[in-house]
Amino acid sequence: MANDARGALLRPPASRARSDRALAYLLLAPACALLLGLIAYPLLRAVWLSVHDVRLLQLGTATYVGGAQYLASWADPAFWIAVRQTVIWTVGVVGAQLVFGMCGALLLNKPFRGRAFWRGVALIPWASSSVLVALMWLWLLDSNYGVLNDVLRRLGLLHTAFAWLSEPRTALPAVMLAAIWQGTPFFAVMLLAGLQAIPEDLYEAARIDGGNAWAAFRYVTLPLLRPTILITTMLRTMWVANYMDLTFVMTGGGPGVATLTVPLYAYFAAYKRLAIGAGAAVAMQLAVVLAGAVLIYMRLLGSVEAAE
Amino acid sequence: MSPTLRNLPHRALLTVWLGLVILPYVWMLVTSLKDPRELYIFPVRYWPAHPTLAGFAQLFQSTPFPRYMLNSFVVATGTCVIALTAATAASYALSRLPMRGKRVLLFVFLATQLFPAILLVIPLFVIMRSLHLLNTYGSLILADAAFAVPFATWLMTGFFNALPRELDEAATIDGCGRLQAFRYVLLPLVAPGFAAAGTYIFLYSWNEFIYALTFTADTSARTIPVGLQTFMGEFIIRWDLLMAGGVITAVPVIVLFMVVQRELIAGLTAGAVKG
Amino acid sequence: MIRSPWVRGIRPAVLCLALCVLLIAPAFSQAQAPTTVSYWLWLDDPTDPMFPALIKEFNDSHPGIRVVPQVIPLDQFHDKLVTAISAGSGPDASRFKDWWLGEFVQAGALEPLSPYVARWSGRNDVIANLWNTGRISPTGLIYMMPHQFITFYLYYRKDWFQQAGLQPPRTFDEFVAAAKRLTDPAHNRYGFGLRGGGGGQDQWLAFMVAGGARIVDALGHVVVNSPKAVAVNQWYIDLYRTQKVAPPSAPSDAYAQVLGAFEGGITAMFAHHVGSSVLVTDKLGATAVGVVPIPVADPKAPATMATMAGNMMLRGSKNKAAAWTFVSWLTERQAMDEWSRSRQGQLPVLTSLAASPSYQNNVFFKTSFDEAKYAITWPGLPGVGYVSAQLWQQLMQQALLGQISSQQMLDRIATALASK
Repeated sequence: MANDARGALLRPPASRARSDRALAYLLLAPACALLLGLIAYPLLRAVWLSVHDVRLLQLGTATYVGGAQYLASWADPAFWIAVRQTVIWTVGVVGAQLVFGMCGALLLNKPFRGRAFWRGVALIPWASSSVLVALMWLWLLDSNYGVLNDVLRRLGLLHTAFAWLSEPRTALPAVMLAAIWQGTPFFAVMLLAGLQAIPEDLYEAARIDGGNAWAAFRYVTLPLLRPTILITTMLRTMWVANYMDLTFVMTGGGPGVATLTVPLYAYFAAYKRLAIGAGAAVAMQLAVVLAGAVLIYMRLLGSVEAAE
Repeated sequence: MSPTLRNLPHRALLTVWLGLVILPYVWMLVTSLKDPRELYIFPVRYWPAHPTLAGFAQLFQSTPFPRYMLNSFVVATGTCVIALTAATAASYALSRLPMRGKRVLLFVFLATQLFPAILLVIPLFVIMRSLHLLNTYGSLILADAAFAVPFATWLMTGFFNALPRELDEAATIDGCGRLQAFRYVLLPLVAPGFAAAGTYIFLYSWNEFIYALTFTADTSARTIPVGLQTFMGEFIIRWDLLMAGGVITAVPVIVLFMVVQRELIAGLTAGAVKG
Repeated sequence: MIRSPWVRGIRPAVLCLALCVLLIAPAFSQAQAPTTVSYWLWLDDPTDPMFPALIKEFNDSHPGIRVVPQVIPLDQFHDKLVTAISAGSGPDASRFKDWWLGEFVQAGALEPLSPYVARWSGRNDVIANLWNTGRISPTGLIYMMPHQFITFYLYYRKDWFQQAGLQPPRTFDEFVAAAKRLTDPAHNRYGFGLRGGGGGQDQWLAFMVAGGARIVDALGHVVVNSPKAVAVNQWYIDLYRTQKVAPPSAPSDAYAQVLGAFEGGITAMFAHHVGSSVLVTDKLGATAVGVVPIPVADPKAPATMATMAGNMMLRGSKNKAAAWTFVSWLTERQAMDEWSRSRQGQLPVLTSLAASPSYQNNVFFKTSFDEAKYAITWPGLPGVGYVSAQLWQQLMQQALLGQISSQQMLDRIATALASK
């Protein structure tokens, strides 16, 4: 491989371009092999399932039903509640993670004593498995034994046991809080890495121009971090929209349907009702919407790259 | 203003931020030191009356937890090596080499992340069985790597794109081949990207649950998240084991990241990039 | 035969052939190796040495069979089993809940056990009513081997009842009266720990049947939305909504919260089974904890609910004979005794064991066995899996929050149960 490349440089331009292209495909091969080999078929299978009436345990018997399962989901009021809550969930969680993650990245970027240690510690929420995070927050939010209520009681703000997860108004924000906590370090680390690509002299220039810290952030940090922010936010949007572990363990979508989201709805259809075709149809709709969001991101990202 | 005073706002904000991040974990640590009988006491006790390490002792003596940790470590490291290699190669190609349909390819990469894993698991199970990989590290490493590669590739592409092309050209003029330029000039400069992508891949694999549950059959390949779940029975939840396990799980990750994060130290590469 | 004298000295080609046969020989010798039975189960406490010891005991005493167990977390047990079977794989035999019977039988995934049971010598020792937990109408075939069961009764704070001069409740009216007397929100005290969250459907069903409601009638028709059932369900909902004898967290409380509230002196009563007896007496002391059968609307028609953790065999298994040997062995007296006495232990399904002093002298076990005679289980309908795993919780919570009526809740449950 290395010899080919070295040879390529010595050859005339036309053949060099050809061999460069060959090298490109060669380098892309492992990643593509992984994706094609392991994800392509399951994805196509999911598409197929969404237009067939299929039940788990009996995958052998499938009837083609076209868009019927898509239409059926639209007729269910709970589906629309789930859609609304998925939007709130995704925008709220990703937005808050981005803001807090940015704060964390900036704070951890400045030198201070024991920085290596604290940077490792900041990873704790991200290094905890979802079920544990869910149990931990259940425990923190418990109406009787939870630390949150105890602190509020001591401050005199709360007089009876308040059940955060039993109130439809507070249940979704409470689960979102756990999700924000869990995902913030991800943003912090990604943005911290992005900060390193910003040359120090740009800040010096900003300082000489008489700008304050905010100006430096606004006109140097933010524009140069934009690609990292966009990529990370885009990916995170897809994951958070599809993320259901916390809701599943903490509330099971409840009380009632107060924390039901689209992936949870799809999961219940597929694994509790055993109607995997219907579940796939619901998940497919989420995937299409997210694909649209990705295209918008890519356009934004494209404009960033073109500007550089 | 003295330096101490100037640093004050930073220190204060940093303390608040880190406090919010670690307090829930500290509470888990305190809970892990409680005797299970001390859990349901009203009002809340902030320090156990009889702190005990019994949960930790039992975790290591009478459960396969050490084995789960080993498995998690092997799987996460294996995933890291495979996914990081594939992603770095792909992102170099996407950033530096001529080819058609880059955007489409990047979009296809992302399309793999659009769907909840639970709905992909059955066909994946069939694939793993036909490869005879069920209940092996291989099944988890391959599945985790496949799902981690797209983001790692995107991230690394961003880092390669941030490096000026003049660097490669200067290197080729100096007589380096393309791959030598890659190896000796670009690779050291994308180190922050490596640290970030590597951390992401490692932790993705470390926490992955659905595939670990579905593809493993016994303690030989089972990872920590699934192992912890077995402490939740039909009528008994072993809070002591769960909390002790939760505390232990984060420790190797913290240590590992403390080592890796050197790559994230500001200024190490700034000069070269400027050049 | 390969090494018989005439082979020697013949041409190398034949030797080659012999070598090939020798290489294949191990495959033949494997036919004499023990039959491997893969068995899936969940354990309440994975540190319990009982189960590994039991497996060793079986494998040692049955040289022709080797049981290979796989322990799976209960929360994921159903999903993992469904995934494996759907992908054309799965164990030979598995621990199983009655909730899932209907859907698995409908899908043709389970082996009918009736022919095996008919030949099994231990069948007469199993408590007669409990065979119904694995029986599917209309064929009447048995698909699940009874193993460990539980019946729901009421735990109450003996000390609080004495202080208030109250008798343990036997009827719905006495139950509500006692619950109201012991409720004092200002001091964070509530009469009854109602479980509206995960797993609450079993407690709910216990009160439903105790109130005279039924899921299905004698002919197997779904009657869960009959006027009678709607009224009992309304009564149950009102414990939270109008009587306000349940804590504010009731709609989302799962087992851990309900148990915690009782242990912490927040609730005076909660409905559960022997699974909690050691925990609550450890915490509160034996003198503070009392137990009575689930209160009933009509003392002449007592009822409660029972649920079974049994064993099933997969239709796709290639080792059914060996699997049956293991599954039936688990229900035989020796193994049953070991299991029931362990930390995993629930109630043994054998009459002979139930009669032994260690069970009869324990008030929690005795109450459970007394109730076993009239206890009712979830019917073997395909929709039960969905209702018990998700739908009930969603609808119950909506009803507790006043978003839907008792009638609407039960109509939707009836539809889900009656669908194919």
